[in-house]
Amino acid sequence: MNKVSTSLFALAILVILSALAAITFGPADIDSSQLMACLIGSCQNQIANIVIWQVRIPRVLVALVAGMGLAIAGAILQNTTRNPLADPYLFGIVSGAGLGATIANISLADNLTIALPLAAFLGALFSVIIVVFIAKVLQRMEQLLLAGVAVSFMLASITQFILYFGEPFATNRVIFWLMGSLARVEMSNFYVIASILLIAMITVFALHRQIDALLLGDESAASLGVDVDKLRLLMLGICAALTATIVAYCGGIGFVGLMIPHIVRQLIGVTTLKLIIGSALIGAIFLIWVDVIARSSLPHAEIPIGIITSALGSIFFLFIMYRSRAIT
Amino acid sequence: MSTLLNISGLSWKVLNKTILQDINFTVSKGEVIGIIGPNGAGKTSLLRCIINQANILASVSVSGSVHLKNRLITQFSAKEIAQHFALVMQKNDSIFALSVQDVMKMGLLPHKSLFSLDSDYDKSQIELALSKVGLSHALESLFNQLSGGEQQRVLIARALVQASQILILDEPTNHLDVYYQHQVLQLVNKLNITVIMTVHDLNLASLYCQRLLLLNKGKLICDGSPKEVLAPEQLSKIFGLPCQQNVDAITGATQVSFYLEESCMQYSAISEPLSE
Repeated sequence: MNKVSTSLFALAILVILSALAAITFGPADIDSSQLMACLIGSCQNQIANIVIWQVRIPRVLVALVAGMGLAIAGAILQNTTRNPLADPYLFGIVSGAGLGATIANISLADNLTIALPLAAFLGALFSVIIVVFIAKVLQRMEQLLLAGVAVSFMLASITQFILYFGEPFATNRVIFWLMGSLARVEMSNFYVIASILLIAMITVFALHRQIDALLLGDESAASLGVDVDKLRLLMLGICAALTATIVAYCGGIGFVGLMIPHIVRQLIGVTTLKLIIGSALIGAIFLIWVDVIARSSLPHAEIPIGIITSALGSIFFLFIMYRSRAIT
Repeated sequence: MSTLLNISGLSWKVLNKTILQDINFTVSKGEVIGIIGPNGAGKTSLLRCIINQANILASVSVSGSVHLKNRLITQFSAKEIAQHFALVMQKNDSIFALSVQDVMKMGLLPHKSLFSLDSDYDKSQIELALSKVGLSHALESLFNQLSGGEQQRVLIARALVQASQILILDEPTNHLDVYYQHQVLQLVNKLNITVIMTVHDLNLASLYCQRLLLLNKGKLICDGSPKEVLAPEQLSKIFGLPCQQNVDAITGATQVSFYLEESCMQYSAISEPLSE
């Protein structure tokens, strides 16, 4: 086994251990022996059994697939646009989701359990359609990122306008939703996110050589038989669906797609297969532990997960900037 | 020699501007052809048409035909074209830290199916190609940290891994100093495959190409041996400078020198007293 395979294998073990350890964290006191007993179906404490299977496991599993999904979406976008700062959030996906959630909150007082994630998902897809449409009209697919930033600001301003005139309770709900949380996730959410994640990973594995070819420029990739615009559009669609689904259930969780691929490039490699597998594993570990911090650092309260990822992300980037300054 | 490529009546107009006009020539297996001409003559555009880049030949502004092995190039898929032509451009770099091995693996793409992983045979082909360009030691090196000449050699090695029959080079010696210019072109010459390249430096083109195509304002002015194509009257007219043809004493290749009349007078003003 070479160095990269060994690292990936070690990370996979770490994901499993992190997930198991994370289940033991929370207000109800559950130790590892109780956890193991409940996992193999010989649990003596029924309350612990319910907490583990209905609260903790869905939450940890959603953190696992959401972390994988956000990190993979960032990695795919960065490699297909050759821009290390590309991130699903820069393509207006969260702003679109925010607008969808705002409209659902303001116009529908009831049935928000289904309507909120659905509206967020439709809003995110709407923003991606606008971004792609603008890039197509300009006939410059490489301007996707700039179009994304413009659309992001446009949709955010519409959201703020609606919230400014909206009912205060609904406004609060949207603002808290945008901060991101895994407190209300269910097992069904895990199945939906995991399905989209699986489709995304299979597609990327199938096309990994084409995506790699883009790393040396569009012209070089085209000379190797790659249809550059079609590939980029397909990858953007996959990232949009993945991020929109995660944002719809978990709210805004920033910086994961930007930060994790950056770490993976330093540790494992830059080509698509290494980057995607590494990002999935490190992204999962990262979000599992951020969620543990979110739910166990304050007594009787949770910190929104998006606040922690943004804080860690900004510190991480300041560190990277400082280190690159020291090197140069 | 069997004919590989046949370019017939190729013309390209964009917004009433002629890019290429009625270009006709054939390329035989094993030829090393240099396309020369002043800036804006249509050299790179001709290369783009030959490989049907971005499906250029399907455009209404392009007429004429390009046949590869007696089959219209527009009937080839992008993957098939990549199996026949390998392109090496002026400059390639990546913002990401790609290793030489990563760049070399890109050359496998036209021959691979979806989901395919690298085999031991692929690895041996990569090592063989790198040894042919004298860079066996650089497999794990970072591509961006190589010199310009080494990067071009890696891209030529990638073209060898691509196993195509025709190597297309667009100004391969731009950005390179004299030593690397000769090193890269000497390497291209030794590969024993069909090569079509655009070259700015007429003397380099003459030294390393068996046949030259002289383009000006989108037209093919002359097609022949370096001695025929680098005729002083012809070059003076196209480049707007007096020109002289010589034979290099060491290589025996046809060489040309351009000079401004002013600089000639200045030179004689300096050299005359010395000669006395």
